[in-house]
Amino acid sequence: MSKRNIFGAIGLGLVASLIVASCGSNSSSGSGGGTPKAGGTVHILTLGEQIAHLDPQRNYTGSDLAFVASTMQRTLTSYKYAAGDAGSEITADLATDTGTVTNSGKTWAFTLADGGTFEDGSAITCADVAYGVSRTFATDIITDGPTYAISYLDVADYPGPYKATAAQQAAFDKAVNCVDKTITFNLKVPVADFNYTTTLAAFSPVPKALDTGEKYDMKPVSSGPYKIESYEVGKSLVLVRNDKWNKASDPIRHAYADSIVYEFGLDPSVIDERMIKDAGDDKFAVSDVIQPENLPTIFDNDAYKNRRVDYQDPFVSYTNINVKNVSCLDVRKAIYLALDRDALRKNGGGPYTGTYADGFIKPLLALDYAKAKVVDGLNTDGTPNVTAAQAAMDAAKTSCPEIAKHAADGLVYPYPDTPVWAKAIAIWIASEAKVGITIKGTPVEPSKYWPTVMSASANYDIARGGWAPDWANASTVIPELFSTSGGFNLTHNADDADYAAFDAAVTAAKADLDRVSQGKKWQALNQYVVDRLWALPGTFTKAQAIWGSKVGNAYHWAPYGSFNFGELSVNS
Amino acid sequence: MSLDSAVEVDNTVPVSQAVVGKSPRELAWLRFRKDKLALFAVGVIALYVFIAIFAPLICRALGISPTRLDGHALNDYGLPNGPYGNVSQSHLLGVEPGTGRDILARLLYGARVSLMVGFIATFLTTSIGVVLGVVAGYKRGKIDSVIGRITDLTLAFPSLLLIIALTRPFTQRLESIGVPEGNPARLTYIVLVLSLFGWVYVARVVRGQTLSLREREFVEAARSCGASTSHIIFKELLPNLWAPVIVIVSLSLPGYVATEATLSFLGLGMIAPAASWGVMLGDSVKYYRADPTYLFIPGIALIVLVLAFNVVGDAVRDALDPKGDRQNLL
Repeated sequence: MSKRNIFGAIGLGLVASLIVASCGSNSSSGSGGGTPKAGGTVHILTLGEQIAHLDPQRNYTGSDLAFVASTMQRTLTSYKYAAGDAGSEITADLATDTGTVTNSGKTWAFTLADGGTFEDGSAITCADVAYGVSRTFATDIITDGPTYAISYLDVADYPGPYKATAAQQAAFDKAVNCVDKTITFNLKVPVADFNYTTTLAAFSPVPKALDTGEKYDMKPVSSGPYKIESYEVGKSLVLVRNDKWNKASDPIRHAYADSIVYEFGLDPSVIDERMIKDAGDDKFAVSDVIQPENLPTIFDNDAYKNRRVDYQDPFVSYTNINVKNVSCLDVRKAIYLALDRDALRKNGGGPYTGTYADGFIKPLLALDYAKAKVVDGLNTDGTPNVTAAQAAMDAAKTSCPEIAKHAADGLVYPYPDTPVWAKAIAIWIASEAKVGITIKGTPVEPSKYWPTVMSASANYDIARGGWAPDWANASTVIPELFSTSGGFNLTHNADDADYAAFDAAVTAAKADLDRVSQGKKWQALNQYVVDRLWALPGTFTKAQAIWGSKVGNAYHWAPYGSFNFGELSVNS
Repeated sequence: MSLDSAVEVDNTVPVSQAVVGKSPRELAWLRFRKDKLALFAVGVIALYVFIAIFAPLICRALGISPTRLDGHALNDYGLPNGPYGNVSQSHLLGVEPGTGRDILARLLYGARVSLMVGFIATFLTTSIGVVLGVVAGYKRGKIDSVIGRITDLTLAFPSLLLIIALTRPFTQRLESIGVPEGNPARLTYIVLVLSLFGWVYVARVVRGQTLSLREREFVEAARSCGASTSHIIFKELLPNLWAPVIVIVSLSLPGYVATEATLSFLGLGMIAPAASWGVMLGDSVKYYRADPTYLFIPGIALIVLVLAFNVVGDAVRDALDPKGDRQNLL
């Protein structure tokens, strides 16, 4: 799930829902002692210009999922509001339980609990949930969101609620069926863990009468404990208590703070400076975008030990190659072998960046992970193997002279225009130049990075990516990243000679209900992609966060790899 | 501007030669030569120009490169290994945190950007400013008021804000009309906007000087002999304007160098992996805790260059017009 947020080091962690099987997750000690107190204002400092999407059906990036879920958008099921491994378990939210499955995994039913209300005081009904889900299908307006509803629900040719004919709407209403308080999802494929899917904000209720389409992004209707008071892109988002929120109906949220202020567009070094200084209102602030140069300051000094956390986040960072333009494996090998991954890692903060990845599935997904065999000659310490890279490049000159020439002329590489990336691109340019490959870096305004590379008209040869599974199944990784139907496929691999075989194998793996045998299939598919280098494995990443001395209840929420923003409190 | 050639007897000139007449130019040079600080500043500028021109050769001779990564000079966290940003024999001014690129090499290449922007922008502003200033001052009347209003309008713009706001759209436009993408387009943009806002200062001074010159006898004489307007402007007026122009040039050039650094500092100048002092400054500010040496290097380089130009500019002004006051010139 979830694209990695592009800010911070090679990226700093954000979302994902993993059943973290104990390993690695150095879960935070939490902060402050005793029961969190109610009241006060919590500040979130960030360098982004805005929340990528507040519209629940479009919200899919980084910590935004954690933010929106914990403050404004209730879902049928939710991850537990807890630190450590417990946070990766699901629990009922709007529903009375975590769902009932019948029809061998193809029918899922949830019953809504009583008392849930929107911010205008109206009750949340089954129809509101169904309507919310239906919005995902309007992909011309509701962009950038997760597409699980489209790939799972048993409805064909449904264009979303705005354009649907009566017949099309009836077909959808059959797939997502409301009887009184019970909502039933009829799926076209068996999905054993659909109740994890429903934790996504995309399964939040939206009142049809208040839906403003594209504009809903700026002022969505809240179903949680907070509502929007003001939202100015580039400046701030102020949340205040939603007085219509019925605490008794919400089994998981506590909503300690009276107000939550998201401060946008800050300079990253200013954020670090403010967090380190811990003065004034910054005592009530949190940040998960620590710049690499400040990591040693914060993590080598005991003064910060009660207000920092360094954890394995759910992300894998990697580099997409546009297989349509660079359709030659030898060239892709040369790019990978020549790349100075050691320098990139140091630039991102060394050990704080994470460890070198051997694929796209993190070991945290224990059932789906097997050590993959990466390309011959790749140095395990991350330093470039120029000899092997040059050999691959020489081979390319005979096997695919046109592509080799394209690589020599210049590969277009858009990157987010941040200080860390300005250096990372310099590292790319310098290391690829050693084997005669030219990298043409094009800076992109950071908050426009994903929309830019994901737009259909984007023309690039290389583009970075970062991904975390939506839940503990590589079905939310491999198909999403490398199938043409995937939500985050930046490799343009559809024309590759091996794609058809890959796609067939993905379909087979998805359909395999034996979880262990399915895991084996994902392992093989991971290896299949690594062999073809449609994307270059980068790092199994770590992330760091810091909070002010008066912030309470700050913890690393494992499924999202971020703070549980809605639960932050203020200690007097 | 005219200089009174009767002034001062130069003490350094032996008595046997003192009777020889001197042109204003020679006298100015004699005065300038006595200013030791200015001579030193000229040497500094010459050195900067030299290293800017020969940066690739110097780097090759020293075995350094502005793009080569040196992971061995960095610790695990990407910070320079040794003290003072890993100053060592192989890296005389240390290395850049994060990548291990040699700071001296980047400084040398950065000098090219700074000086190129400075010289080209100065050349353009001076050319435009002198031509428009002379025409306005000599022609008076309608032409003068049109140029005068344009000058006022340009001065009224908040230029730095405009430069910042227009960077992206304008560079994209430049790229779309065939200027090579990336740094060439950005450099072109910086030079163009600096010239666009810079010429007015030259034009104003030149216009003022021209207004007084045009009433002088030699201009009257030329006019009564039937000399054409262009002859009067180019042969009679311009030769008498070079003194204030030279002063303006020497004082505005450091301004352009500093503006380029400011824009690069703000992330609107050179893009990776090119080196520029502004980019280095912007980068080094982040490391003031971990590696303060890095911050001082581009900062001192920039200060010294700007200071040298200012000292030379002042000295030139004093030499050309020992009695003049600054208000008239600037």
